Amino acid sequence: MTTLAMDTPREDPRSRANATLGMIFFIGSWSMAFGTLFLSFLILRERVGTWPPPGIVLPSFPMATVATLVLLGSSVAVHAAVKRGRADAGGFAGLWALGTVLGVAFAALQSWLWFDLLAAGSGPQAGTYESLFFGLTWVHAAHVVVALLALLWIQLGIRTGRYGAHRISTVQNTAMFWHFMDVVWVVLYLGFFVF
Amino acid sequence: MSGDHIHPEPTSFLKKHVFSVDHKVIAKQFLWFGLIWLLVGGVMAMMIRWQLANPGSPVPVIGGLLFPRTGGVIDPASYNMLFTMHGTIMIFLGLTPVLIGAFGNWCIPLMIGARDMIFPLLNMLSFWTVALGGAVGFYSLFVPLGATEAGWTGYPTLSTTVGTQGDGETLWAVAVFLIGASSIMGGINYITTIIRLRAPGMKWSDMPLTVWGLFFTAVLNVLFLPVIGSAMLLLIMDRVFGTSFYVPASIMSGASGGDPILYQHLFWIFGHPEVYILILPAWGIVADLLSFFARKPAFGYKVTVGAMFAVTVLSAVVYGHHMFTTGMYAMLGESFMLLTMIISVPGEILFFNWLHTIWRGSLRLTTSMLFALGVIFVFGLGGLTGLYLATISTDIFLHDTYFVVGHFHLTMAASALFGAFGATYFFFPKMFGRMMSEKLGKLHFWLTIVPLTVVFCTMFISGYGGMPRRYYDHTSADYLVPLQHLNTITTHSAFLLGAAQLIFAWNFIRSRWWGPKASDNPWEVGTLDWQMPTPVPHYNFKEIPVVKTGPHEFSHPKLGDRDWIPQTEELPA
Repeated sequence: MTTLAMDTPREDPRSRANATLGMIFFIGSWSMAFGTLFLSFLILRERVGTWPPPGIVLPSFPMATVATLVLLGSSVAVHAAVKRGRADAGGFAGLWALGTVLGVAFAALQSWLWFDLLAAGSGPQAGTYESLFFGLTWVHAAHVVVALLALLWIQLGIRTGRYGAHRISTVQNTAMFWHFMDVVWVVLYLGFFVF
Repeated sequence: MSGDHIHPEPTSFLKKHVFSVDHKVIAKQFLWFGLIWLLVGGVMAMMIRWQLANPGSPVPVIGGLLFPRTGGVIDPASYNMLFTMHGTIMIFLGLTPVLIGAFGNWCIPLMIGARDMIFPLLNMLSFWTVALGGAVGFYSLFVPLGATEAGWTGYPTLSTTVGTQGDGETLWAVAVFLIGASSIMGGINYITTIIRLRAPGMKWSDMPLTVWGLFFTAVLNVLFLPVIGSAMLLLIMDRVFGTSFYVPASIMSGASGGDPILYQHLFWIFGHPEVYILILPAWGIVADLLSFFARKPAFGYKVTVGAMFAVTVLSAVVYGHHMFTTGMYAMLGESFMLLTMIISVPGEILFFNWLHTIWRGSLRLTTSMLFALGVIFVFGLGGLTGLYLATISTDIFLHDTYFVVGHFHLTMAASALFGAFGATYFFFPKMFGRMMSEKLGKLHFWLTIVPLTVVFCTMFISGYGGMPRRYYDHTSADYLVPLQHLNTITTHSAFLLGAAQLIFAWNFIRSRWWGPKASDNPWEVGTLDWQMPTPVPHYNFKEIPVVKTGPHEFSHPKLGDRDWIPQTEELPA
């Protein structure tokens, strides 16, 4: 690797385990946050009765499905990248880049879903369905944006040799968070488009 | 991570005292921050009491300054802001930073033998996030239309734009969100630190009970602060983006609408654990202090831990007792009632263990011991009156009266505050290297516990008489006029209680700079924190200690002339 990598001391396995444990607790905490939002979704959906409410503009199902597949693909790429990175095998940077690009594509598709609804005259103030769709995807998207910045940061770090087999815990934790974003989206997708 | 990368001690003022990653400095930051907010919240309480005793007359001294437009009289809107901000400030910016922020940061690494928190940078971020939350909350007092008037519970539709105009409520929600985020960061740090950084030899059952209390609190923080965070996000969206999560259908477009009761569920799913978030650290500290100053091992250590664990679990499944008057499904209400009653079982076990700890002990009645005993007393009063509120039939009568106000002030406010005072008097010598005045401390204790008991017990009577919460001028209701003398008694006692806190403030400030120098172990206890030199060196332990005994080995017959043993020494065979 590059000279910078030589200067960076190898991670202590104990501190790697510490960081992983901390991240697991963080994700537990975030699960409660998103769980609360999903609980609100279920309760309000029950209150509305007919679901989706008749006569409203619905977000595009095909586009949301494409977005889901793109995000799942991104997760797979990131997972493969971490595996390569940990084993110091080739393709770490490339796969991570693929995951990042797919993540950005997801964000673009998500924006398209919003603007498509707005263009059709819908919006967060239109009713409960719209409140839930915009509100929940906003919170998810805000986390996705931060996660994308982290993915990008790691991409740059892989290039300079800051991250690699010698220093993997930040990479693993970012990947873990990214998978979590994926899971949250899948739950939202199932709630809004499937069931 | 701590222990792996030892950085040299920072020398610049900014890095040493402001943006410090040292848990000891952060603990002190939290302490000062919380104490200042307790003062602000306390002054607000005094003004609320003034209005209740003398409705419509100008507040003396500070009235002209704060309410110039009305000539010093608290107007109805300001009264609403006062009780709303009093509650919010005391809970989120006063007690939480002192009990959890300050003593959590101080005690955990020192008591378990760690060099620092496991994530020092996250620790610093936690403090600066709560500071930002405090700043946002403070700023909300100065926006047009003022701070929020919706009560600290922020129930919709009062808290949506239907009930409250202006930015005050939105800023309040942002502040609560930020403070919650700070608590989550702290909680994750505490849990991971306790799991991973205990010194060699320190089994789970060798941890001081203070650490156990903080551990359970951290678990509740990590699990339930996200719930209030999400609830606040939905409230902010309702207010700013016109969504309808909480606003009912008939008021909005009419097509479909939100549910104000949804907010109450989310709020109390968080809100009930929050009560235990505040009281568990106090319980842990009390359990330790009783053993330390009775010179006896903590009775039933493992049972105490088990009872605290049971309370932690149960706290998550009883929140519905806050909502008996919402027209809850009867079977559900009864389940919540039963579960709430069950909490008194571990509660009683704790009381039994505490009393058995001091039973036939060689009591040293220091100020911190007095406050620990005070916690038993005030929590007893608050806990027993809780039974009436847990019972649906009596709760429906007592709901939203001063009975509730008296109850929750004794349990989550007074008990937590007494725990914080006990801890402050106890840890002060190690934190600041000087002793607090015991004479002033005892004066502070007696001038606190007597008026405090009068204040909140009188509230039980007036509440039972029908005195509702949050009324601006209750004398406008004929049936409440005969209760006026009770309100006057409460107010006068409250003023005495407030004045007594000035003794504490004076004692704290005077001792901080001019108190007599403290020895390394003035209380003669064995926990790791008191085996260290004062002031505690940078990175705490030169060598990580090896733990060989429990934290409460007092008066062991084989110890000889000294009645305590450091946790680093083995008990004589």
